[in-house]
Amino acid sequence: MLLTLAWRNIWRNKKRSLIIITAIAVGLCCGLFASATMFGMWDSMINTTIDRDLGHFQIHSKDFEDEKLISDTIPNFENVISTIKKSKYVTGISSRIMIEGMASSASTSNGVRIIGINPANEKNVTSIYKQVVDGSYFTEDFKNQIVIGEKLADNLGLHIKSKIILSFQGTDGSIIYGAFRIAGIFKTESSVFDKSNVFVKENDLQNLLNSNMFSNEIVVRLTSVQVADSVYIPIKNQFSNLSVKNWGELAPELKLFNDMLMTQMNIFLGIILFALLFGITNTMLMSVMERVREFGVLMAVGMKRSRVFFMIMFETISLSFIGGIAGVILALIFIQYFGSVGINLSAFTEGLSQWSLGTRLYTSLPFSFYPPLVLMILVTAVLGAFYPAIKAIKLNPSNAIRTY
Amino acid sequence: MALIELNQVSKIYDETIVPIKAVDNVDLKIEKGEFTSIVGPSGSGKTTLLNLIGGLDQPTEGKIIVDGIDISTYKPDALINFRLHHIGFVFQAYNLIPVFTAKENVEFIMLLQNITRSEREKRAIEFLEAVGLKDRINSTPAELSGGQQQRVAVARALASQPSFVLADEPTANLDSVSAESLLNLMEDLNHKHNMTFVFSTHDQRVIKRAHRIVTLQDGKINKDEMNPAHAIIDS
Repeated sequence: MLLTLAWRNIWRNKKRSLIIITAIAVGLCCGLFASATMFGMWDSMINTTIDRDLGHFQIHSKDFEDEKLISDTIPNFENVISTIKKSKYVTGISSRIMIEGMASSASTSNGVRIIGINPANEKNVTSIYKQVVDGSYFTEDFKNQIVIGEKLADNLGLHIKSKIILSFQGTDGSIIYGAFRIAGIFKTESSVFDKSNVFVKENDLQNLLNSNMFSNEIVVRLTSVQVADSVYIPIKNQFSNLSVKNWGELAPELKLFNDMLMTQMNIFLGIILFALLFGITNTMLMSVMERVREFGVLMAVGMKRSRVFFMIMFETISLSFIGGIAGVILALIFIQYFGSVGINLSAFTEGLSQWSLGTRLYTSLPFSFYPPLVLMILVTAVLGAFYPAIKAIKLNPSNAIRTY
Repeated sequence: MALIELNQVSKIYDETIVPIKAVDNVDLKIEKGEFTSIVGPSGSGKTTLLNLIGGLDQPTEGKIIVDGIDISTYKPDALINFRLHHIGFVFQAYNLIPVFTAKENVEFIMLLQNITRSEREKRAIEFLEAVGLKDRINSTPAELSGGQQQRVAVARALASQPSFVLADEPTANLDSVSAESLLNLMEDLNHKHNMTFVFSTHDQRVIKRAHRIVTLQDGKINKDEMNPAHAIIDS
C-alpha cells in the first residue's frame, strides 16, 4: 500500500513526471549513443588495424625489435608456424620478410617498408587484397610484381604496370637494387599506411638476396579478438626466446586512443548524470514542497520518518527507472539502426584516414555497458532524492499541517 | 487515573529572542468518555494545547501523561509511534490522502499499525458504514463533499482504535448541515463506544454540543465548566 501510495503520487502531476522521465530517457539515450559512437570508432580502428596488417599477434626475433634488420630472422620459423597452426582458433598465418628500404620512380623516391609475402597465406591474415582499387593482387604471371598504396603511387607519379625500383641493405651490408612492376594499387583507410608499405612476393626478395627461405615476422589471425589471449599467452610462454606481441602491444597508440576515448566517454556521461542529478533534485524538491501539509499529516497520524523517506526514494527511483528503461530502449533502436546503416562521415575523409578510420562510422556498444549505466542512473536518482527526502522528514508535523 | 493529564504544562516559543508563552502553566485532566471542547479567542493557545496533548509538540515545562504514559520526554520518533497507537486525529482541512480512495484512507493508518489486510478491509468498511459512507468507499477525496471528507477523516481516526480523538476545528470548513451531521456522528460514537473526543473550536455549534468546555485565555485556563446546555439535554 505504501508502494501504491508512492506510485500514485508520481502520477499526481503527470506533466511534471513525464518531463523528468523524458529528460532521463533523452539524457541516457544521448549518453549511450555517444558512447556507442566512440566505441564504434575505436572498434573500427582496432578492426581496421588488425585486418590491414597487424593480425591478432606477431612473432619476431628479439633482435628484430631493436633495429629491424633483415638479418634478424626467426630461428626455426617453420617449426613455430606448425606449432601455432595446432590451435583451433587460428584462421591464418603469414610469414613475412620485412625490409626497410627506398622506393624510387624516375622522378622521386620515398622511404618504404618492403613486405615480402606469400600472397595465398597473406590473404588469410590481412585484407589488403580486398582493397586493391586498381590492377590486381599478384595474379599477373610476370616476375617481380609489386602492390603499392595509392598514396605512394601518387607521390611517385606511378600507375599500374609502371616500373619501380626498390633499394635496401642486404644481409652482408651491401645495397641491393631491384626493379619491380606495379601489379596492383591498394587504398586502405590509412593514408599513412598506403604511403609507406609495399608488398612483394617473398620468392622475388629471396632471389634478390640470393638466400634460402627465412622469415622476419610471423603474423597470426584468429577467429576473434576475444580468444586472442588464449592462443597468444601459451605461444608467448612456449617461445620465450622470441618476441611475441599482441595487437595492443604492437599498436600502443590504439591503446592510448582507447584510453582517451574512455576518458572522454566517462566525462561526457558524468556531465549528463550531473545534469540529471540537478533535474531530479529539482523535481523531487518541488514535489515535496507541494506536499508539505500531506507529509505533516502522514507523520502526525503515525507514519515513521523512515517510511516517508523510503516513499520519496521509491517515487524517485520509479521515475528514474522508467526514464532509464525508456532511454535504453531508445538508445538500442538508434545504435542498432546506425550500427547497420552507419553514419556518413565522408566530409572528413582526409582527417579520418590519418586515424585509420573509414568514412562510415558504425555505432556499437557491448551489452555489458548497459547495466552499469542504468545502475548509475539509479544511484543518481537516489542521490538526487536524498536532499528532498531529508527535507521532508525534517518537517515539524504540527507546523506542516498548517501549511497551505 | 485520568486518560489525559497535564501537570503545570507550559510551552514557550522563541525562548532566546522574545519568549512567547503560548501555554502557561496549565493543569488539566480529561477522563475517558469525555466530549470536551477547548475554546478561546484566536491566539489563546488552543491549537498549541491540542498539539501538546496529541504529542505533535513537546512542552517547555511540565508533564503530559496520556494513557498512563509520560510523553513529555519522548523523542520525535517515539512520539510518532505513540500517536499511531493512541491518538486519532481529525483536522480542520480534512487532510485525506488525495490519491487514495475513502477505504484506502481509512485503511492506511491500520497498515502503519501492521494490521492484517483482511482485518484492515473489514474495519474500514465497518467504520465507513458507521459514518454513513458505505456507498462511497471507492471515491477519492476529490469526489466527496467537504462534509463527506470529514466523515472519512473521522472513520480514519476511529479505525485505528485510538484511546481518544483530537479534533482541531473539525467543523470550520463545513456548512451548517454537514457540521450538524458530523457532530451528531461524533456524539453518537461518544455515547455508543464511550470514545473520548477533545476539540479545539470557536464554532458555537460545536461548543453547544460539548459536555465540558475548557476556555483558554492568553495560554491559561480561564474557565473549566460542564456545559449547562448539555446538562439540560441529558437530564
